[in-house]
Amino acid sequence: MLGAHCPVRTRAPEHLQFGPAPQPGHPAPAMTAHSFALPVIIFTTFWGLIGIAGPWFVPKGPNRGVTITMLVATAVCCYLFWLITILAQLNPLFGPQLKNETIWYVRFLWE
Amino acid sequence: TFSSIPEVDVLLANFSSFSQLNQNVSSFQRKFVGEVKRCEELERILAYLVQEINRADIPLPEGETSPPAPPLKQVLEMQQLQKLEVELREVTKNKEKLRKNLLELIEYTHMLRVTKTFVKRNVEFEPTYEEFPPLENDSLLDYSCMQRLGAKLGFVSGLINQGKVEAFEKMLWRVCKGYTIVTYAELDEPLEDPETGEVIKWYVFLISFWGEQIGHKVKKICDCVFWSRWTCDYLYTVLHKTEDYLRQVLCKAAESVYSHVIQVKKMKAIYHMLNMCSFDVTNKCLIAEVWCPEADLHDLRRALEQGSRESGATIPSFMNTIPTKETPPTLIRTNKFTEGFQNIVDAYGVGSYREVNPALFTIITFPFLFAVMFGDFGHGFVMFLFALLLVLNENHPRLNQSQEIMRMFFNGRYILLLMGLFSVYTGLIYNDCFSKSVNLFGSGWNVSAMHSRVLQLDPSVPGVFQGPYPLGIDPIWNLATNRLTFLNSFKMKMSVILGIIHMTFGVILGIFNHLHFRKKFNIYLVSVPELLFMLCIFGYLIFMIVYKWLVYSAETSRVAPSILIEFINMFLFPASETNGLYSGQEHVQRLLLVVTALSVPVLFLGKPLFLLWLHNGRSCFGVSRSGYTLIRKDSEEEVSLLGSQDIEEGNNRMEDGCREMTCEEFNFGEILMTQVIHSIEYCLGCISNTASYLRLWALSLAHAQLSDVLWTMLVRVGLRVDTTYGVLLLLPVIALFAVLTIFILLIMEGLSAFLHAIRLHWVEFQNKFYVGAGTKFVPFSFRLLSSKFSDDVA
Repeated sequence: MLGAHCPVRTRAPEHLQFGPAPQPGHPAPAMTAHSFALPVIIFTTFWGLIGIAGPWFVPKGPNRGVTITMLVATAVCCYLFWLITILAQLNPLFGPQLKNETIWYVRFLWE
Repeated sequence: TFSSIPEVDVLLANFSSFSQLNQNVSSFQRKFVGEVKRCEELERILAYLVQEINRADIPLPEGETSPPAPPLKQVLEMQQLQKLEVELREVTKNKEKLRKNLLELIEYTHMLRVTKTFVKRNVEFEPTYEEFPPLENDSLLDYSCMQRLGAKLGFVSGLINQGKVEAFEKMLWRVCKGYTIVTYAELDEPLEDPETGEVIKWYVFLISFWGEQIGHKVKKICDCVFWSRWTCDYLYTVLHKTEDYLRQVLCKAAESVYSHVIQVKKMKAIYHMLNMCSFDVTNKCLIAEVWCPEADLHDLRRALEQGSRESGATIPSFMNTIPTKETPPTLIRTNKFTEGFQNIVDAYGVGSYREVNPALFTIITFPFLFAVMFGDFGHGFVMFLFALLLVLNENHPRLNQSQEIMRMFFNGRYILLLMGLFSVYTGLIYNDCFSKSVNLFGSGWNVSAMHSRVLQLDPSVPGVFQGPYPLGIDPIWNLATNRLTFLNSFKMKMSVILGIIHMTFGVILGIFNHLHFRKKFNIYLVSVPELLFMLCIFGYLIFMIVYKWLVYSAETSRVAPSILIEFINMFLFPASETNGLYSGQEHVQRLLLVVTALSVPVLFLGKPLFLLWLHNGRSCFGVSRSGYTLIRKDSEEEVSLLGSQDIEEGNNRMEDGCREMTCEEFNFGEILMTQVIHSIEYCLGCISNTASYLRLWALSLAHAQLSDVLWTMLVRVGLRVDTTYGVLLLLPVIALFAVLTIFILLIMEGLSAFLHAIRLHWVEFQNKFYVGAGTKFVPFSFRLLSSKFSDDVA
């Protein structure tokens, strides 16, 4: 249900003129596959620790209320912001449009 | 007793920050006006002293701790200040005259030297201490020389015995009747009297006079008294002596002038405050009405006892709590960190007594919303460093006393710190560092999977898109030409989501307000319909956004419906049946619309009708009892101010109290009108405020574009040039880049985002729950009196 990133091939891709052939001297294109579950677990745990577990460790004093509010608000705001960002990129409806030089740069330096 | 009251007040006032005088408008006994005037006179004298000290460039020591207010006895010693002032003025005047005379003498000396050739007699006469006998001829010659030169002012100078000074002066005055000016100063070292041979003190003096006749008389008198005359060469010494004397006086004054200034200020403040007290029937005691925080009542009692004890008064001072109908002022205790945020909220309006304080949440949400609009890692880091500099040096005295603009930055240093910190985080998420993206985890987009001339990566092609970038925006978008298409869609949706959550939070804070003021009916009749209205329409919008993100992907991108169209269609019920976002959408939307439509009339009419029912149906207990109960009812909040137990018990029975109305004054029309206006404002405001949050998108877009333009126009030009010139060109380019970054991007954009974040808080967030109609609690505190010279001597 959460956008499969290995979709089933339904038709032959039109734009592809030749498949990615590993050229001599260049390594095979690195598959930097990003999972979705792992970052979610990591960040939820991280901000959850700050926002839910953190308030228990605030020392008693006149500023306890303020500090707890600050911790919880920070955790909520930052987690929400990150979550929106990753959800927006989960199933992109269109891709980036690249210029010629950029394509060569990305191809040979990032991959 | 009367005399002890200033002392009591002095001691009371030392416990700063606990009481504020309520202006007792009806009876004003200005008993202490004379004292206040005296203090002001003293202040004027001290200001003159400080001015003179500053003019003489004497360092003025400013003490770290302010001295306590002086007891009554010491007040009389202040009269010495007046004498000091008079003396100072005279000495200064004399010094000025001396200086003027000296200058003239120098002129004449020059002229004399020139005309020496015309005169047979040798005029040059350099006396030392040993030569005493008066040289009448020479002096005559001096005098006549000047006369020849047309001088109208003459002067004679010389030494005179200490014992003969007074007689000399008296004779001079009697004879010349004020047409002379005498100045004298004491010589440091006692010299030998040529006649008797004993060592006595001498005074050097200078007599200036107008006119010939006076000149003769003066010279005759001078001859009677045994003295010696000197030429102008010795006048320098006279002048120096006078200056030294002046300096001595000023130095002595400078040591204590600081504490005097503070003490006079404190005295004046105390007398001012005493003026606001009223007298009781016997005219022997002062009565002051104060507001005091409940937590400090104990301290107040203790201070009064201590003050009574220390001043030795026969009648001790005491305090009573009294019930009142007035609304107390609002006191919110802050420390140096929270003070800045509280000031932001207070600038809009000080909170009403005991209502929810939005500053608590503003501490985080304000920097966060700022950062959403500012979002650049590099700029945020620079801002953070600047704020860190201010915070670490906050005890540096120069920062504490700087002038206007720097003072503003200094007061907001913690706000700047948090703003910088959050900007670093949002910059990380936006993947924007001085307008460049950072590739930390490897992009999720694979170019090799597709090949073409000008490429638009199609995520439906296998192998092209390999998963969302784990932290923030994918770095490949920074290289794409259609970057803004993606970012705009993302940022707009983000702004709307953040805005709706912020506003809903505001409505929920309103629920806390209603709970505190024990008006539960408000929760059911106002807050719940408000929440339903907001969530059914805009909460559903959030749902649609997230649903589309999760469900629709590249394969179905052809049929993915536009959120905006769907949202509008929710209200329009178009004839054509589009596919919609999900199956069953129409039913869900209809249900939501029904709920919304039902909540609107409840919002409009619920509260007024309920109050009307209360007024007619349930009898008000207050009518049958006396006015005292009415006062007690209205002062539910002041129960905390009253310390007694029985009043508390009586209050529990009136929980759903008809608070804002006495039974005679219930005005249904007014309540209805208020509620209708509030509801219309809320409902229309929901839509406009949600759209207003789109400024989060707009400003972050502007910031990113400005940053990008700066990079492209400056650094890229510098980096593209060939290495031979490139190194030389890059230096000024980087310098210009840094300067423009600071001025345009940090200061201008920072101010802009700051302003918009404030507006979002003040208008969109706070109008959901905040009333802000209170007055600030300003205690009588010596700390609030400025203890700097610069404020007075301007």
